[in-house]
Amino acid sequence: MKRLVSGNEAIFQGAIRAGARYFAGYPISPTSEILQQAAAHAEEDPNFRFLQAEDEIAAAIATISAALSGVKAFTATSGPGFSLMQEALGWGHVVEAPCVFVNSMRVGPSTGMPTQPAQSDLLQIKGGSSGDIYPIALYPNSVEESFRLTVTAFNAAEESLSPVILLCDAFLSHLYEIVDLEGINVEPVPRTKEPLGRGKRLFTGISHDTMGNTRTSHPDVYRDWFAEVKERHHGAAQKVPLYEYLPRQGSSVLLIAFGITSRILSPLKSNFSLFRPIRIYPVLEDELKEVTRSYRHIVVVEGSDGQYASWVECAIGRKVVKVPCLGGGFKFQWIRSQIEEQLKGEAA
Amino acid sequence: MIDRSYKDLLKMQRFPHTWCPGCGIGAVMKNVAMGLKELGWDHQNTVAVSGIGCSGRMASYMNLDALHTPHGRALTAAETIKTVRSDLNVIVLSGDGDLGSIGGNHLLHTSRRNPDITVFCNNNEIYGLTGGQAGPTTPKGTKTITSPRGEAYLPLRLGRLLTHQAPYFFARTSVYHLNHLKTCIQEALQWRGFSFVDIVSDCIELNGRRLGFKTAHQMFKWFDQRFHIVEGVRDHLNDDELGIAKAEETLEQSVQPAQETEKKVEARTEGLTSFTLEELQRFDGMEGRPIYIAYKGKVYDISRSPLFQGEKRMRCHVAGKDLTKDIEIAPHGEDLVFKFQVVGRLV
Repeated sequence: MKRLVSGNEAIFQGAIRAGARYFAGYPISPTSEILQQAAAHAEEDPNFRFLQAEDEIAAAIATISAALSGVKAFTATSGPGFSLMQEALGWGHVVEAPCVFVNSMRVGPSTGMPTQPAQSDLLQIKGGSSGDIYPIALYPNSVEESFRLTVTAFNAAEESLSPVILLCDAFLSHLYEIVDLEGINVEPVPRTKEPLGRGKRLFTGISHDTMGNTRTSHPDVYRDWFAEVKERHHGAAQKVPLYEYLPRQGSSVLLIAFGITSRILSPLKSNFSLFRPIRIYPVLEDELKEVTRSYRHIVVVEGSDGQYASWVECAIGRKVVKVPCLGGGFKFQWIRSQIEEQLKGEAA
Repeated sequence: MIDRSYKDLLKMQRFPHTWCPGCGIGAVMKNVAMGLKELGWDHQNTVAVSGIGCSGRMASYMNLDALHTPHGRALTAAETIKTVRSDLNVIVLSGDGDLGSIGGNHLLHTSRRNPDITVFCNNNEIYGLTGGQAGPTTPKGTKTITSPRGEAYLPLRLGRLLTHQAPYFFARTSVYHLNHLKTCIQEALQWRGFSFVDIVSDCIELNGRRLGFKTAHQMFKWFDQRFHIVEGVRDHLNDDELGIAKAEETLEQSVQPAQETEKKVEARTEGLTSFTLEELQRFDGMEGRPIYIAYKGKVYDISRSPLFQGEKRMRCHVAGKDLTKDIEIAPHGEDLVFKFQVVGRLV
């Protein structure tokens, strides 16, 4: 049935479609609606459990513990809460807990501007936890895609045996669009990891060998473990090489934008070629190299001070033009004038 | 013949363990394993969770599926496992620094939510693994490497914290009083709800020697002087008492306001004037007229409402209108309307 659906609701319903049976969260704008829906859903479905935790630290730890217990689990937060969840994100990687963290981004740092949209938590995905982690992060740009990608995120979590991050922004969380959620065809994968209570395994954040014995002074054990995890994550990411590319004949400029920015810039498709990465992390290196090759100017428009642009520069080995949309200002006219001004500067 | 079957519950192949000679954690782990064995709990039905620290290593020696969480998060993990998998028994093996300091917020809230888990706290009044820093339970005046002139602050009293509101199960025992330790572990494991066993333990290497004890045994004798066992079930334990404090049911009254029923309101409408919507509109509070509103077919005189006084409108509610839909979606309940006198029926 077609009806008005918000981004937050699409994410929640997507999780239910993917088979999620646990949600833990802490109230934070703009994802409180997901917490509220989880509370309501737990009333209806006795198999679905929900916890309004005392803080995001507990919410994230609970999500990972639920995943290890044997159910598909997820949590939702925004930038400040995501900062608190970094500890659990690292732990989730080491103990191999398949689950989904939703981060609907708002202007930071710290409390920032509640609740203006931003896209400035990208470096936090990979760089917030101690050590090296490679979480898969996906970022939709419509309500329907929020539903689809939530299921994809749960599937990627099963594949990578780790927390997967579904990015969103305050704009998209509260965007209402007409969607037929029931009619969307997606294929959730079943849980394969053995639940708790079946063995004598140790799930520890300490470096350990394949038997689960802690190994705190064995570089070779660590390297073997790390190589295996990195390869697994890389393999799982390869299965979701998601992007959207709209080339325009004769254009020498490629605009790169994602999430709500790509929606706002869509009228520019008659002037420029557009590239929208959907898998934000690991960075689409091969795809970016291939696509950007034939363009003189690469312009990255994003709601941060060049976080994604720096990744693009790394991937393609060239300077790009950065158009940061800061402080929640995503006005089309303003962005267009910024792009034109920057390109004029480049040409001169 | 001594029954050593509890060893099935320990990963003996990983021994020798990491703890110093004389440490009390071994006694805690052994007696917990014996307690589990007596109840028939094993890897098929039990999960152990621990935090960080010397005591946090206990879970990794248990022959069970075990979670070794980030520092302080053991209670949250244990609660979640019990929520999702009520078929599993969940025990927490951790220490005073992990549970009381970095995990303090989780201790407050997990105990409040009262999940059916059992917590064993190896309380040695020090941060042992990191080298002997003052912890949340270090008594005032104790010299440690981070309190060279004596700890400046009063310690956290776990017993007071965890017995402020029923239901609760709080036991204090020590690694010296072994029979008492066994009894407390048994009772705690069988308690339905959140149970907490505070086990007074020693850290001879990083606390005891600085306090002037030469051996672990001297510390145990000091425990014997400091504490005495109290028999029977108590409401609370004093700081020098070893025993069990428990309470089943909460004494708190539910604070839901009594709602005035719809039926009572219906009885009051008989024989009263009928109003149409047009007639109702006249009673808008202007020029000295009373303020009437309609709700579910009845007309109320709300002239005495302080929020409507002298105004035709209070926020989104307009005088002289049928407010049934407004009140359904309002953040307050309908009892606010029932306070007022019914003056008629809406037709």
